[in-house]
Amino acid sequence: MRWWTFIGSKAMRGPAATKAQQGTADPGDGTTRHDMSDDRIVRPRLRQALCALALATLPGCSGVQHVLAPAGTDAGFLANLFWIMLAGAVVLWIFMNGLMVYVTRINVRQMSPKKAEALIIGGGIVFPTVVIACLLSYALAAMPDMRAEGTGTRLKVTGEQWWWRVEYWPEGADAPIVSANEIVLPAGSRSEIALTADKVIHSFWVPALGGKTDMFPGRETRMSLEPLEPGTYRGQCTEFCGDSHAWMAFNTVVLPQEEYDAWLENAATDAVAPEGEAATRGREVFFAEGCGACHQVRGTAATGKVGPDLTHLGSRTSLAAGTLPLDEPSLIRWVRDAKAVKPGAEMPAYDHLSDDDLSDLAAYLEGLI
Amino acid sequence: MKLRRPDLDPETIAWTLGTLAVAGAVVGASVVGFGLYNVSARSGHLPGVSWALHTTFRQSVERQAPPKSEVPELTPEMAALGARHFEAACAVCHSAPGRNRTATMEVMNPVPPHIEVASRNWDPEEFHWIVDEGVKMSGMPAWPADREPEVWPVVAFLMDVQDGMTGEEYEALTRMEGGSAEGFEYCAACHGERGATDNPHIPRLDILSAEYMSVALDAYARGARDSGFMEHAASEVPRETLADLAARFAEYQPSGDAGDMSELAGEGRTLAYAEGGDSNVPSCRACHGPWPEPIKESFPALAGQHAPYLEAQLKLWRDGARGGGPTQELMHSAARELSDEDIAALAAYYAALAPATLNETAERP
Repeated sequence: MRWWTFIGSKAMRGPAATKAQQGTADPGDGTTRHDMSDDRIVRPRLRQALCALALATLPGCSGVQHVLAPAGTDAGFLANLFWIMLAGAVVLWIFMNGLMVYVTRINVRQMSPKKAEALIIGGGIVFPTVVIACLLSYALAAMPDMRAEGTGTRLKVTGEQWWWRVEYWPEGADAPIVSANEIVLPAGSRSEIALTADKVIHSFWVPALGGKTDMFPGRETRMSLEPLEPGTYRGQCTEFCGDSHAWMAFNTVVLPQEEYDAWLENAATDAVAPEGEAATRGREVFFAEGCGACHQVRGTAATGKVGPDLTHLGSRTSLAAGTLPLDEPSLIRWVRDAKAVKPGAEMPAYDHLSDDDLSDLAAYLEGLI
Repeated sequence: MKLRRPDLDPETIAWTLGTLAVAGAVVGASVVGFGLYNVSARSGHLPGVSWALHTTFRQSVERQAPPKSEVPELTPEMAALGARHFEAACAVCHSAPGRNRTATMEVMNPVPPHIEVASRNWDPEEFHWIVDEGVKMSGMPAWPADREPEVWPVVAFLMDVQDGMTGEEYEALTRMEGGSAEGFEYCAACHGERGATDNPHIPRLDILSAEYMSVALDAYARGARDSGFMEHAASEVPRETLADLAARFAEYQPSGDAGDMSELAGEGRTLAYAEGGDSNVPSCRACHGPWPEPIKESFPALAGQHAPYLEAQLKLWRDGARGGGPTQELMHSAARELSDEDIAALAAYYAALAPATLNETAERP
């Protein structure tokens, strides 16, 4: 059996089948619940870890999260740097090994000590030093540019467990425009990004746009990005930060300047309650269930700061920090039992809600555009 | 001739010990299996056994009891709650101040001492240990819930008995208005006639919805929510009447005025409105009011609830020790980051609001 069929069959069998195999059939009255929940915790974790591993390598094959498919000035420089470093390494390797092959295999003869010393010092010390020094000074010279201060949009991103709190600070604003789990940047200008974290260290990285910068609780670090190509690029936390580190991602949407301005204007507005019977009922569910204790929907009584801002949730491209697509089934799945999607998530399960309540609530949330 | 010492022969030793072990097992099994031991309570113990057991009990309590420093201030309100629980759960064996022991109590083995006698010679921390842990093989049960702080009101009552509580005082504390031990009057004896007791250790019920109280009572009856007081009470009342009792208390309109907004209560308000800038604590008011939109009736109202009760419950939530309802996870998440100071402030804030039901809760009446 190949390894992937092995994983697949494990996944298909599940805890109930394992129980049956062990000959302790579930009496159906819940008396084996503890054992079953243990199984449920252990096996999905393993499966999720393997899936995450597989998934983590996948985006590398496409453009959304690829250091060698740059869509911004900084990532472009980093990609160049990679190729130049690689070229330098290849030249160095070929020259050194070529020299070695030449003197030991092709042209084997006695050499005067002076000539041998010159060869060793020249090829073994001087040449590598020169090549590496050139590469180093090229890379170091670029660092100030990469840390250049942003001139356009100013953002602040806070790493939470396991999501991103995002604030946009337009020129002269007293208060930020708050959003979460998605970053929208204008193409063609350099945006300034302040970074911090709530409880543990995270790291901010959008491979297609630039380098990574760590985020520390109680301390502010900074970086700037200059995206060039409009498009959607995936970002990922790159500092292990706990149970759902692998599920802490986000999309970066790069828009042409005009579209960005229009987007920001909309982002600054209060929520408009979506119309329609389901969404109206969903709004009642949202307020009756106390969702506003943790979430903010600007323009309503919901002013919670614990979880992500939901004012324009429906206009975002992903749910639960890049973990699920933003659609009704995902919203229902997330609200019903967030921890089943994202281990350790702080969002409590709303599995006491009826299917109708959940789908109405999803209609309301999806309608917050 | 050399004498052999038979006791050193290992084979003989093994045979002797083996035979004795088999014989012992046969005798033991016969006593257990054929009922050879007389368990009659009438026959009493062999001489000396009672003394050994009682001394073991006294020494064990002395050794296991918590240090004196853990004894909280014991108030008359605590004693009042303790007295009512004693009447419901303990008087059946230990009688009560001013009452006789029944003939049945007197033939129990061991004989449960009259509470006036039992209350002598123990210190509060020892009482606490005995009531919380119970005494093995004596008939004295442990506290029915894992809620050690709940025992202190009973201790407060026992200390009053030790100080010479009279029969009249006891009857005044435990009187039920013409009620039975199974019905509304039984509940009202503690929670107040209109569900609005002024004992700060007992929650007022007039502000709560029938839905919330039904779920809570059901959780007590199923043993899903811990409380030595309420699990006893909910199991003494017929299960099918619990919802009716909840509905009856919910019918009362809360009355009473708002208290003063102290500085502490003001801090509580900031927390309840999540205006303190702490992104780890959800706003309480989204589920408990004051809230401008209709809130689900199965969340409890807190406006005008007694501060000591709120404080005790919030600590239990924070420590993960409370639950029982279908939405318990919400409150576990919400309370996890609260400090003792936060809890005191929140309790002060909600206690200062005018008593009101959930969707009537408002800052100013």
